[in-house]
Amino acid sequence: MKLRRWLFALPALLMVALFVVVPYLNIVLMSFRTPSATAIYGPGFTIQNYARVLTDSLYLGLLKDTLLYALATTSICLLIGFPVAFHLARTDSRWRGLLYAGVLSPLLTGVVIRCFGWIVLLANNGLINQLLGLGGLGPYRLMYNPVGVTIALVHVFLPFMILPVMNSIQSVDPRLGEAARTLGASGLRSFVRVLLPLSMPGIQSGVILVFVLSASAYIIPMLLGGGQVSTMPTVVVQQLMGSLLWPFGATLALVLSLTALALVALFGALTKRAMRRVA
Amino acid sequence: MSRLRIEGLNKAFGGVVAVQGLDLDVAEGEFVSLLGPSGCGKTTTLRCVAGLEEPSGGRILFGEKDVTRLPSEHRMIGMVFQSYALFPHMTVRENIGFGLEMRGVSGTDADKRIAHVLETVQLKGLEQRYPRALSGGQQQRVALARALVAEPELLLLDEPLANLDAKLRDEMRFFIRSLQQRLGITTLYVTHDQSESMIMSDRIVVMFGGRIHQIGSPEDIYNHPASAEVASFIGQANMLKGRVVESRDGVATVETAWGRFSCSTNRPVAVGSLVTAMVRPEALRLTNGADRSDFSGRILARHFLGNVVDYRIALADGTVISVQAMSAGALPAEGPVSIKVDQDKAWLLQ
Repeated sequence: MKLRRWLFALPALLMVALFVVVPYLNIVLMSFRTPSATAIYGPGFTIQNYARVLTDSLYLGLLKDTLLYALATTSICLLIGFPVAFHLARTDSRWRGLLYAGVLSPLLTGVVIRCFGWIVLLANNGLINQLLGLGGLGPYRLMYNPVGVTIALVHVFLPFMILPVMNSIQSVDPRLGEAARTLGASGLRSFVRVLLPLSMPGIQSGVILVFVLSASAYIIPMLLGGGQVSTMPTVVVQQLMGSLLWPFGATLALVLSLTALALVALFGALTKRAMRRVA
Repeated sequence: MSRLRIEGLNKAFGGVVAVQGLDLDVAEGEFVSLLGPSGCGKTTTLRCVAGLEEPSGGRILFGEKDVTRLPSEHRMIGMVFQSYALFPHMTVRENIGFGLEMRGVSGTDADKRIAHVLETVQLKGLEQRYPRALSGGQQQRVALARALVAEPELLLLDEPLANLDAKLRDEMRFFIRSLQQRLGITTLYVTHDQSESMIMSDRIVVMFGGRIHQIGSPEDIYNHPASAEVASFIGQANMLKGRVVESRDGVATVETAWGRFSCSTNRPVAVGSLVTAMVRPEALRLTNGADRSDFSGRILARHFLGNVVDYRIALADGTVISVQAMSAGALPAEGPVSIKVDQDKAWLLQ
């Protein structure tokens, strides 16, 4: 019986091993290679790549910026996603299906198309600035800067926050909030003491998903940053494709992955207490 | 002075009327049940009193104070929900302490009150458990303790026993009632279970389709139902139709196709009018012989119910009635039988 279960999981395990574990090991290996001007990497191994990333303020700054984008995106997604998730979870409106489709809509087209959509809106002569212009305002610089990148990141990753949070809220009995009210809690206190802790499983998943996805986003900072915004992923691709510095690119990618992983673990540890009580 | 007063309460949900022109006074320390089938508006009424629904019309007063627009958290009520609605992420102690904390009671005062209420509901020793580690009956007691600990002016219970198994439900009926009497707390109780409301209440409010059909003591409702609907919702009832041939001093004699009988009434009825009398199955007496009985019938079936025996009896015109007699001296399972109506227990319906 147990063996049979394993057999069913085998195709997936093989896929993961082949396309995730092996490439990752390859990247780890690559990050210890020496650079070469003529081949992908030179002879022998070195830790020089790591030394460079971890001591050069340019790369540390880049890492900080990337994580700040991810943090900002995650916070904004949580802030604007929670009310939407709450409404979707609790509404009995006949438009529920439509609302749901609306939430999923950012996932319906490719990220490149969506970025061009934002360019149309945010450009100096784009729709938003034209409208502001009618009121005698602007034009404001809304893209090729951190603002544009953050707007697009939030738009693209918002569903990854809303869906898990909505699931969590759906599993919370609406009577709990009412019970809190009858016991003397204001709407705000009822939210903070009852709904919020009980939605933690969804908030945790959503925060981790959005954080990891936005920290590793490449196309959005590329297109909406227009070369003015650098993040770890854009620099990694520059190293690989532009400078053909594969070992150093691999190191940058790994440092980003490990830092993000460490932050996720830290977040998990901080929310562990709340999670244990909910589960 | 009434502790709770509901005046002309109306509540509609998007055009669907749930409660219509409901008036009710509940005295200090009284236990009043709202009884009716599902969808009769009893829960909506309770939720309006709790401040969880906003009335479409009418007023709700606690004592002299109009609370119609007062948010739930300022009403000083304790409410027990059908699902208990215990906070799953809090221990028993934290669940019970929640209401105290919200009302600014803390420290040793809170500890003392929690310990006291835990003793009252017999849950000592379970303070650190989470609700999921409790049985249904224990969860029920925690919900009660949580509702009572802040000493509310009014206790509201929404079908609190519906999720318990039969034996525990019987126990909890007596437990809640005696607790309520001991604390002297004014209580509004919602149920669709007529025997539950009979056992527990000082007065019962019978509701159908968003309106009150009758308010009265359990005895009153059972013996003197205001309508055929009330009569058949509360226990079993035989409806006997006939024409009044004599009426005096609260007694009416009714003539039917199969004989005549007398019943009580609280109103003057005109001789010759068509009426329906409600006779409880235990208000009919069966005899073998042809003594001075009111009418006769034929036994169709006999069912042993433990404390009583239930007979299905066909009358001359085919009407089938139910008669319950004590087991002793049981009659045969079929055949002719004489029936006598207990005049005090037969009631002329409006």
